[in-house]
Amino acid sequence: MDRTEKDGISRNWLTSVITDVHFWVPVVVLVAGLLLLKSIH
Amino acid sequence: MPSVLTPQHSESVQEPSRARKLQLLGILCGFTAGAWLGAAEAPTKLVSVGVSPLVISLIMVIGVFLARWSLPALILGTSSISADVRRAPHLIIWAVLAGCIWAVANTLTIFAIRDIGLSIAFPLWNSNSLLGIFWGFLFFNELRQAGWRRWAGVLGGALVMCAGAAMLAVASSAQAPAAHPTRGVWAALSAGILWGTMYIPYRKAYLTGMNPLSFVTFFTFGELGMMFALAVSYLGLAPLWQQLTGARDVLFWLMLGGFIWVIGDLFQQYAAKYVGISRGIPLSNSNQLWGLLWGILVFGELRGLGVSTYMQVIGGSLLMMLGVGAVAFSSATGSEQAQWKAAAQREARRYDLAEDDVEARMDGRQSAGDSKPSRSALDWLLVAVATGVFVIFAAMAHAPRMSLHWWPAAFLSAATLILLFVCGVTLWRTTRFN
Repeated sequence: MDRTEKDGISRNWLTSVITDVHFWVPVVVLVAGLLLLKSIH
Repeated sequence: MPSVLTPQHSESVQEPSRARKLQLLGILCGFTAGAWLGAAEAPTKLVSVGVSPLVISLIMVIGVFLARWSLPALILGTSSISADVRRAPHLIIWAVLAGCIWAVANTLTIFAIRDIGLSIAFPLWNSNSLLGIFWGFLFFNELRQAGWRRWAGVLGGALVMCAGAAMLAVASSAQAPAAHPTRGVWAALSAGILWGTMYIPYRKAYLTGMNPLSFVTFFTFGELGMMFALAVSYLGLAPLWQQLTGARDVLFWLMLGGFIWVIGDLFQQYAAKYVGISRGIPLSNSNQLWGLLWGILVFGELRGLGVSTYMQVIGGSLLMMLGVGAVAFSSATGSEQAQWKAAAQREARRYDLAEDDVEARMDGRQSAGDSKPSRSALDWLLVAVATGVFVIFAAMAHAPRMSLHWWPAAFLSAATLILLFVCGVTLWRTTRFN
């Protein structure tokens, strides 16, 4: 497998992750948790 | 003669008997997870020096890190983990994300206990099982076409467990009145939301067939990285180092707590894989019951308290057991499992995974292209390094100066080890840890 093909596959799964709504739910909850920690510290 | 449970001989389509076997296995894993997660509290109770809770968390996570690299290497070998990553590289992101969420939630619980006490905080964050049920239903087709009896069993069981947890927490708490009630309530609720949401990555990984042993290996990077970042940002690097060196006598006990916790968490992961998050989380939340058993029987907690406290403990324990029983007897029916399969196929299409491969892994079987797991020199090196670190810290540790009840300790240890043995053997025979 050459470098271009490998890069293409990496890009594909990365795109699949960031366009997956399931991914953003935990991300939003994590960011909210960090913001809360910052505010209560 | 190969066992009838030998996974390689299974059909590609999940048979009802195989499905039933996996359901029972998942329930057994949930029970075992509860016992080991509860036992993980025991070594931490030996630590009574004035160490910051953040440092305690960080040290436990270091123990967790060592265990999460050495145990999978010992059980299946790192070659199996590498194969999982090559097959589904996107799951690394999910695992690291889940680890980060765990660390933030754990830190929030420290603030919650400080501000409102364990009695109010625990039931609030224990509501994570209800959120897990919601996410399981919404995103992963869990409890779809399950019928009202299953719904009542799972949701009712989780609610009864929350009520039991509340009673136990009130009975076992001797906290001062709340200093910052609103802040504490927010922290506890947020910890519950974070932990409930953490199960989205768990289920995501297992629906696409990732091995729990691989998942936890990457989970721990997020966990340790985030915990270290939080500890440094809250305490500063130099004070953190000072506290770590000052606490070297107790580092071993905390790391041991982390190690035991990993064993419980591994079984929790297998429970999430085979019975879903809607059932796996409530079952493993029975850890509170085990933690209380260790506290009362071994460490003599609640000694000298009134009858009403003991009544609360007995009532709360019965409620917890009732809830666990209700969830355990609500295993998924064939039509619900068909819904799980539809969710798995959706994931396979999205992430370009072979559907038969995903199906085989969901069934706890090796797929056709999988090579037999084997251990290399690297695996033995990882195990040796982790063991060496534990031995070094054990040599530095001091025996705790507190009175312990050894017979109950021996009995609880034996019960926990028997569960480990029975569940481990059943997992091996049924899935070969796939």
